[in-house]
Amino acid sequence: MDNKFTFRIGGVHPADRKLSRDCAIEVLPLPEKVSVSMAQHLGAPAKPVVAPGDRVKTGQVIAEPAGFVSAFVHSPVTGTVTAVASKADLAGKMVMHIDIDVEKDEWAEGIDLTPELVTPLPDDKQLILDRIKAAGVVGLGGATFPTHIKLCPPPGKTAEYLIINGAECEPYLTSDYRMMLERPREILIGAALMQKVLGGPKCIAAVEDNKPEAVESLKDALHFLQLFSKDYENIEIRVLKKKYPQGGEKQLIDAVTGRQVKSMGLPIDAGAVVQNVATSFAVYEAVQKKKPLLTNVLSVTGDCLPPERQHNYLFRIGIPLRYIAQVAGGVPEEAVKIVSGGPMMGKAIANLDATTVKGSSSLLYLSAKQTLRREEGPCIRCGKCAQACPMGLEPFLLKKLAEVGDQQALEQNAVQDCLECGCCQYTCPAYLPLLDTIRIAKADVLNLIKSRPKN
Amino acid sequence: MTSILWTIVLVTVLGAVLAMVLYLVASKFKVEEDPRIDEVEKVMPGANCGGCGFAGCRAFAQSCVEKGNLDDNFCPVGGNDVMKKVAAILGLEASVKAPMVAVVRCNGSCEARPKTTVYDGKQSCRVKAALYAGDTACSYGCLGCGDCVDACVFGALSMDPVTGLPVVSESKCTACGACAKACPKGVIELRAKGPRSMRVFVSCINKDKGAVARKACKNACIGCGKCAKVCTHEAITLENNVAYIDFNKCKLCKKCVAECPTGAIHAVHFPEPKPTPAPAVAPEPQKSQQDGQ
Repeated sequence: MDNKFTFRIGGVHPADRKLSRDCAIEVLPLPEKVSVSMAQHLGAPAKPVVAPGDRVKTGQVIAEPAGFVSAFVHSPVTGTVTAVASKADLAGKMVMHIDIDVEKDEWAEGIDLTPELVTPLPDDKQLILDRIKAAGVVGLGGATFPTHIKLCPPPGKTAEYLIINGAECEPYLTSDYRMMLERPREILIGAALMQKVLGGPKCIAAVEDNKPEAVESLKDALHFLQLFSKDYENIEIRVLKKKYPQGGEKQLIDAVTGRQVKSMGLPIDAGAVVQNVATSFAVYEAVQKKKPLLTNVLSVTGDCLPPERQHNYLFRIGIPLRYIAQVAGGVPEEAVKIVSGGPMMGKAIANLDATTVKGSSSLLYLSAKQTLRREEGPCIRCGKCAQACPMGLEPFLLKKLAEVGDQQALEQNAVQDCLECGCCQYTCPAYLPLLDTIRIAKADVLNLIKSRPKN
Repeated sequence: MTSILWTIVLVTVLGAVLAMVLYLVASKFKVEEDPRIDEVEKVMPGANCGGCGFAGCRAFAQSCVEKGNLDDNFCPVGGNDVMKKVAAILGLEASVKAPMVAVVRCNGSCEARPKTTVYDGKQSCRVKAALYAGDTACSYGCLGCGDCVDACVFGALSMDPVTGLPVVSESKCTACGACAKACPKGVIELRAKGPRSMRVFVSCINKDKGAVARKACKNACIGCGKCAKVCTHEAITLENNVAYIDFNKCKLCKKCVAECPTGAIHAVHFPEPKPTPAPAVAPEPQKSQQDGQ
């Protein structure tokens, strides 16, 4: 086991529960209506460029970036725009949406819909970047940060490593796993494209050791691609020892390169750029097929579902969650909570009428037993949370400081480094709401930092 | 015997020497402080609530003395009485402000605003607001976890178990504004107390379109604008689908109260047949509920 890598500090081992791992990706049929959110990425919500009554084709731009950190949004279907209005997202918050009545599936011109693999890479870096930007590709690992910005390191900093994140450390989720099994060649071509943009850093695709099939699949694909071209020489597949939250950027950098990102720093400070496997696939489609980011893979899973009702769907971004639940056989009776994302960092869905976004990765049904909140006890100072924290913070201390509102002390104790992975709360024997409190404190300290004059 | 004597002598000499040292140090490092700061601090309420914008009563007193005017300094807790005293001490003129009171601008009782989800997390409005829009279809209204009650150092707020909304005890409220700051939704507003506490205000801040707001809460302001039309004092403005009554312009004529189709406009502490909207509105939701069934 010693030759397998993992990150050094903290981490927990929640049960795997990858129940939908053997379910092949199915293409989700189109519904009658779709609703495309304008806030599908980190940063400023996109600005709609269509009006009600407009006819749109699949893959046509319907919203433009509004700011530097923002992304294009494309129509996932062909049809008529019925409304451009504020609607509740899955947390019930009001976000601008474009509603489209689906008529057919006629793609905009210039998009390559053939299934053939395109292996020769374009030589022009700027062309690759422009296509990624035009396709509205964002990080599909969860943070949905616009990819083209991440691929342009700030001046003075160079990427020495490009890490393709196939850790998928969250329990239950299997969308990345299925992508690695079914589309490994595309993922690696996407990786080679990003490698080219970044100026040829070493590329390492990292997969946890609970997914040996995915490792094999990627290795086979790599051998295959290396027969074609020298572009794929500098790519390596690495197996990591399973531990949550290995998929966190800073944890993955530590696990793969042995470097640690400094406090408040960005991955590029350690010379690394991390991209999810699904993002890599989206980059392949954007550059080689000129296909905008219209689809993603989503797992419908949970202990409430029998094996035959577990699914992995290739869905068009903008399909309502309720429709997906219906196609998958309806919401099971035992489910009291539906989570979008994994059970550790995912968000409970408050509004099933909300729509899917670029970062949607699952519909996870949890039973009453699984969501049980036990009564809070007193902190017994066991220090388990401090041992579990992958950033080396002291959650019990941060919670105490948050309660008395000592923001300076919170800042000194690096509350901003918290990645909200939930390890502390998961491990706390007193069932204290550690992360809930720390998240608020983090927002307060961020406001404090922002309020300071910049020198 | 001699040892006792020696002890007494030694301690006395030591005491005298140390007293000398203390005296010298005290006179050498004496901090000259305006004695009026102490005087002003004495007349302050001493709650150290921070409602004036300073760290506490002493910081406020210091600022009053050092600035040389009282234009921007006002103690909301002590009100005009305390400010008059402060002005007298400093020989300045105090600005007279209308007494204020905290007003809860949400009318979404448990009955009027049905729950759409179950929240079982930490009982804190801030935590809840960080997670999602709230456990009802209204994403603007009171979350009902009582952060405002915890924030109030005067014990003026309490949660009504029936409506699930906070209630302000006007006799205790000092308008320090701590509750308004604590509320992540901005439901609580400081408004002029009004003559004999009579006030008219829109008890809703829902910015959704009428149909959406109405569906989420039967008592919501639907932004129909009837109140603004009927108002003869131009006190009511309609912005983002919600009406707002400017308390500086409102003449308490109550025309808007009768006009409001949802009972979102509240008139409180008026004499005689108190038209508190709660009973006026209560039968309506029951009726529509029956209709729905």
